[in-house]
Amino acid sequence: MSAPLQVYEPFRAGLPPLIRYWKSLWSRRTFIAEYSRSELREQHFDSVFGQMWLVLNPLLLSAVYFLLIVIIRGSSDSTRYAHLTATLFLFYLVANSLTGGVKSITAGQRLILNTAFPRIMLPISAVVIAIFKFLPTLVVFLAIRTILGLPFSWQMLWAIPVLLIATLLSLGLAITISCINVYFRDISSFLPYLTRTLLYLSPILYEASALKPNLRALEVLNPLFPILDSWSGALVHGQAPQTSHLLTGLAWAVGIFLIGTYFFLSREREFAVRL
Amino acid sequence: MRSASKEYKTNEIAVSVRNLGLTYSTAIDRRPTLKARVKSFGRGTKQTRIIRALDNVNLDVEYGHVLGVIGTNGAGKSSLMRVIAGIIPPSQGRIEVFGSVSTLLALGVGFNPSMSGRDNVFLGGLAAGMTRDEIEAHFQEIADFSELGDAIDAPMRTYSSGMYARLAFSVAATVRPDILIVDEALSTGDAKFKEKSLNRIKELRSDDRALILVSHAMATLRDVCNDVAWLHQGRLVQRGEPNATIEAYQEFLQVGKSAVIDEDL
Repeated sequence: MSAPLQVYEPFRAGLPPLIRYWKSLWSRRTFIAEYSRSELREQHFDSVFGQMWLVLNPLLLSAVYFLLIVIIRGSSDSTRYAHLTATLFLFYLVANSLTGGVKSITAGQRLILNTAFPRIMLPISAVVIAIFKFLPTLVVFLAIRTILGLPFSWQMLWAIPVLLIATLLSLGLAITISCINVYFRDISSFLPYLTRTLLYLSPILYEASALKPNLRALEVLNPLFPILDSWSGALVHGQAPQTSHLLTGLAWAVGIFLIGTYFFLSREREFAVRL
Repeated sequence: MRSASKEYKTNEIAVSVRNLGLTYSTAIDRRPTLKARVKSFGRGTKQTRIIRALDNVNLDVEYGHVLGVIGTNGAGKSSLMRVIAGIIPPSQGRIEVFGSVSTLLALGVGFNPSMSGRDNVFLGGLAAGMTRDEIEAHFQEIADFSELGDAIDAPMRTYSSGMYARLAFSVAATVRPDILIVDEALSTGDAKFKEKSLNRIKELRSDDRALILVSHAMATLRDVCNDVAWLHQGRLVQRGEPNATIEAYQEFLQVGKSAVIDEDL
């Protein structure tokens, strides 16, 4: 008789065998692609108006916030508008990952109750969807930047590592919050307040240099602060980011990703009885 | 849920369940909230309860056989199926599965009701570990077997429960798994489809697949099963020849051989 293909035994607390988990996740990568695609299709982002809305929504948002800045400060210039749009669009990558991720496990209830698969696929898909929504806004930003007549430079390529750090942070946040939402279903109602607070604590409506010295702690305490500042520095001003900023952002992203993933993986085997 | 990887012979063991115990804690509230947790803080109100779903269950399923599982509601039938399918890890004991398992637990397909039947079949299959090509190869057969016609491209929220059941059964039975687990899915189809799915089950049995059927339809079980296992409160009460086991179960229920329990309800 051949060896059993699958053996199920009681699990000890902690992580599942990571290599096997990774293999099982990797073999299902088409699920993530297919799920994101059909989710976007369902939200009508495959139609002309759907895609226009994808671009129009952040544009209108940035216009509203720009209006706010003009009224509060009494004046403004084109660099400021470029800064606002660049950081706002990246902020929405993180915010969309959070709002998409929070319900990813509870919404996948039917699938979780009936199929054995690495549950982490669901929050990962939420982040992939957020990335697909982010990409067109990046194109819009580059167009705005050209219209505003800001000079292009090679330093702008620094935006790539910054974007990778932001994506890792989004992934960590989505994984963490999807797991928390299984145990506390009302987290999703707190989420709008959380993202709104994050928005105001980040250098989006203001530039990092305008921050009062007694609030400098934000640069370290808010994971988005160094990321958004470096992003704006690279894309708007064409400056290389401060190494300390990159390292702080990276430390936050890696930290949240590792802690969140640890919690998720050690909990996911009981999701089926918790849903 | 991979299509058959190996050929298995009749009477070889497909699933072996040894000393299986399953205990878990679950939230009392259907929607556990932070608010409730904060409110009950310091009062010692319990937020979770312990459920002993299965206790010392031993069971073997051989290829070429159909095992029926009966028991009252809450007897642990669905939990047993989920453990065998690898969805919930056991608390005690060991389960060995010699082959690919396709589950049809409580109508698994259609996890996202706003997507079409087609999308749901693909997503369900991909999540279960099939490749795109495998699903594409089977898709036409699935659509034909389900007889849904154009409805396959309509959002699944527009489906009736019978249509759900049809699609779910078609997926599970068409991908030709080594081991097929069917959990009370036959009961919602109409007479014609029920006939058709029973024929498919018999076909799979003679094709040397292993099947586990959870059902309350005693007549069906007498018809197709080689073996029936009776679960009660998480324990295996009796296992053996269908007629004898079903009779013992019906005697236990004190309803005798009334028409109600013999019907496919």
